Amino acid sequence: MTGALKTEAVVIRSLRYGEADRILHLYTPHRGRIAAIAKGVRRSKSRFGGRLEPYFRLHMVLYQGRSELLTVTSADTITGYPRLREDGAAIDSAARACDAVARMFETADPHPGVFALLCNELALLDAGAGGPRTHATHANQLAFRLKLLLAAGLAPQLAGCASCGEADHLVAFSGAAGGVVCSACEAGGFALGEAAHAFMTGALGRALADVPEADELALRQAERAISETVEHHGHIRLRAASAR
Amino acid sequence: MYAPPIQRLITELGKLPGVGARTAQRLAMHILRASPQDAAALAEAIREVKERIGLCEVCFNFADEPRCRICADERRDAGVICVVEEAGDVIPVERTHEFRGRYHVLGGALSPIDGVDPGDLKIGELYRRVSDPAEPIREVVLATNSTTTGEATALHIADTLRERSPDVVVTRLASGLPVGGDLEYADEVTLGKAFAGRRRL
Ligand SMILES: [Zn+2]
Ligand SMILES: [Zn+2]
Repeated sequence: MTGALKTEAVVIRSLRYGEADRILHLYTPHRGRIAAIAKGVRRSKSRFGGRLEPYFRLHMVLYQGRSELLTVTSADTITGYPRLREDGAAIDSAARACDAVARMFETADPHPGVFALLCNELALLDAGAGGPRTHATHANQLAFRLKLLLAAGLAPQLAGCASCGEADHLVAFSGAAGGVVCSACEAGGFALGEAAHAFMTGALGRALADVPEADELALRQAERAISETVEHHGHIRLRAASAR
Repeated sequence: MYAPPIQRLITELGKLPGVGARTAQRLAMHILRASPQDAAALAEAIREVKERIGLCEVCFNFADEPRCRICADERRDAGVICVVEEAGDVIPVERTHEFRGRYHVLGGALSPIDGVDPGDLKIGELYRRVSDPAEPIREVVLATNSTTTGEATALHIADTLRERSPDVVVTRLASGLPVGGDLEYADEVTLGKAFAGRRRL
């Protein structure tokens, strides 16, 4: 398959390459994650300007030759999320969100829902940047990951014991079982409090803009539940969801 | 295909940035054809630079003494520090002849995703330098790259300095349109910043 590929894309990573080039990791709605080289982009007169920096959402034309690495032919900005770039916590959250997408969806399989979710997350980080209604929080980052799990078909079972189906006494979480477990099945799991359980259920059921609140202990437990689920069923290790 | 010593040379040259397999072969052929003196001079220059050049104890720029030439130069303004990512970034700033202060080389930019945290850069050393009463600092100029990681690094340092050293002025290089660049090609974030930083003529 050679020729021009027209696609929307979010730049999730950008690595210096050679004298003036960059290798981009892009996330696209219909081609999943792809890698492309942008030639001469680090020269100040490059026609790409700064729009191939991470977190730009672009209309792109890429040339696909025989190599796995595509070549960027043109890039037009849909949005550069400019406010996000003025806020250290928002940049950090955007980096972690892109990294989670890159790790969990590293193939060319199309996941338009994941692309939309990533754009939604970047838009929220941009909208709340520098203000009191920031979305650059641990809770937001975990809610984003839970939605990625759902898109990957790995959403943890939260309604009843993942081992025996028991609806009460759900006191622990087991990555191996793929969800919460009851006191009889808790071996191999770790203690998961009610607040963490409620946070995960709430985060999965609500919009990203409307993430439920939870204390730091509950968030730590929820993060462990998410990480163990992806490790066990996706064989992927995620980076920490927050800097702290 | 090649005798082992030639292959070894090609392999080593191929590790240089921007040098692919073809270029590495061409360079190796050039060295093979060169006079013994020229080839020895190249080898000696590489050996000497690794032996004699270290990092300045103050600013972490390259230096052939404990302090680099800029830190040792009494005519430079010790009250202003320009913070850059890499030692190579000192040269373009020096070429502008606009800056008469001293430097601080971080050794990279923050990127938690790549595992580059503040502890991996010379950021703690910068804070200590700024709060050292022996050499009062008036201004810190953040001249990290205007890439996403460079901006994140500048924001992080600015936040910390505001707290730790509130009397020190922290500035960031203005970003805008490159001289000779077409407005048509400027990306929207750059153009937006150029607008925000416009001045009266
Ligand atoms: Zn059970
Ligand atoms: Zn120095």
